[in-house]
Amino acid sequence: MAAGISAEVFVLDTLIVRGDAAATANNILASEPLYRLGVAAKFVDYTVYLAVTVILYALLKPVSKSSALLAAAFSFVGTAVIAAAALFYFAPLVLLGGASAFSVLGAERLQALAFLSLRLNSVGSSIALVFFGLHLVLIGWLIVKSRFLPRILGVLSVIGGTCFLINSFANFLSPPLAAQLPAYIFLPGALAQAVLALWLFLVGVNGAKWHAQAAAA
Amino acid sequence: MTVATPGFASTSLKQPSAARLAGLLYLIVIACGLFGVGFVQGSLVVRGDAAATANNIIASESLYRLGFAAQLVMYACYAAVTAIFYDLFRPVSRGVSLFALSFSLAGIAVGAAGMLNGAAPWLLLGGADYLDVFTTDQLQALAFAFLRLDSVGFSISLVFFGIYMIAIGGLIAGSTFVPRILGVLMAIGGLCHLIYHFAGFLSPPLAAQLSAYTSLPGLVAELLLALWLVLAGVNGSQWQAQTGAAEG
Repeated sequence: MAAGISAEVFVLDTLIVRGDAAATANNILASEPLYRLGVAAKFVDYTVYLAVTVILYALLKPVSKSSALLAAAFSFVGTAVIAAAALFYFAPLVLLGGASAFSVLGAERLQALAFLSLRLNSVGSSIALVFFGLHLVLIGWLIVKSRFLPRILGVLSVIGGTCFLINSFANFLSPPLAAQLPAYIFLPGALAQAVLALWLFLVGVNGAKWHAQAAAA
Repeated sequence: MTVATPGFASTSLKQPSAARLAGLLYLIVIACGLFGVGFVQGSLVVRGDAAATANNIIASESLYRLGFAAQLVMYACYAAVTAIFYDLFRPVSRGVSLFALSFSLAGIAVGAAGMLNGAAPWLLLGGADYLDVFTTDQLQALAFAFLRLDSVGFSISLVFFGIYMIAIGGLIAGSTFVPRILGVLMAIGGLCHLIYHFAGFLSPPLAAQLSAYTSLPGLVAELLLALWLVLAGVNGSQWQAQTGAAEG
């Protein structure tokens, strides 16, 4: 997940010129292969994250069946939202592609509409991050309650997810407030995901304790 | 059935208490829906008048944004209700419960993705420099088009929620632990959503005639179910009996 979001953030950060639709449009057209690579990275990311979601569901089900299900549901919804919002990531390519059908609008308006689409794509990410944030919070809570994973991983996830939620709701409720949030608001979430991934990959879970908790549930 | 073992106590929500929680979350869903969709959009959107609508949204931007946030809270809580209902009604029918779960999650995903259209007006009307290439009239018209799309997205989500309500209604009617009449009401409410929103897609004039009758049954059914779950919960021993029967 962290990889995909950073791929998109990297591509968009390189190409978007804040408040300047024309410069942004020129950048996108000049780096179209990079831009399209960003799309591919997004979709690899959704696929992997859905797989992770299912695995985490199976892993954490013994702790609480309904909370594990709800966590998975939040992740599915977040993925669906961010994938649907990718429509607006594609829209600039359609609008700026030079098709004669759109020439009636004039280059400047097409650039403005393309820029608007990118803004909408980023609103889509903020909406999705509400659900991904809830996913992380629940995963964290389940890890804390589990007997087979270190609690600190759970605490990190809860903090990371809460930061996602704070960022998104600040964006929606008050952009001036959101602008004041530190740039590293995403750091705890990314860190939690990375540490959890590394832990599961390198150490795994305590099998005996997992079976014990699964039997008790 | 959950057996608590010392040291390995399962934190699975016990039914009755989970049902009360679902009822409480359902009340939040209803309140956020009435506020975010009903009140905020109802008071700011002026039918057929893009300029007046735009001025209302600009004048009450905080209210508009609060309505947006309320809708997100609504979907998040509805996901939680959905997960609890899945566990609660699985003893009645595993297949129907899974069917219901899928429809609700699809509805939530469509509804949450459709909220993008609801965010467009504040982007378009926010006075950003890059939009200077459009006249104010044009921006207002675009914002209005996005509001219309927002309401189409909401209608699409309600097709899925309508089917969800019918499935939940069927599960309640087949259960021995929630009064059947609530199931019947839910199914009627869900059917009304389906009829109204399909009418909206197929024939807007017909939908306009139906609107007075079709939104109330769903609201009443959901409100009664939520209140019942909060105040009375589910019949725990009947639930366990049905769970035992389903597993046996």
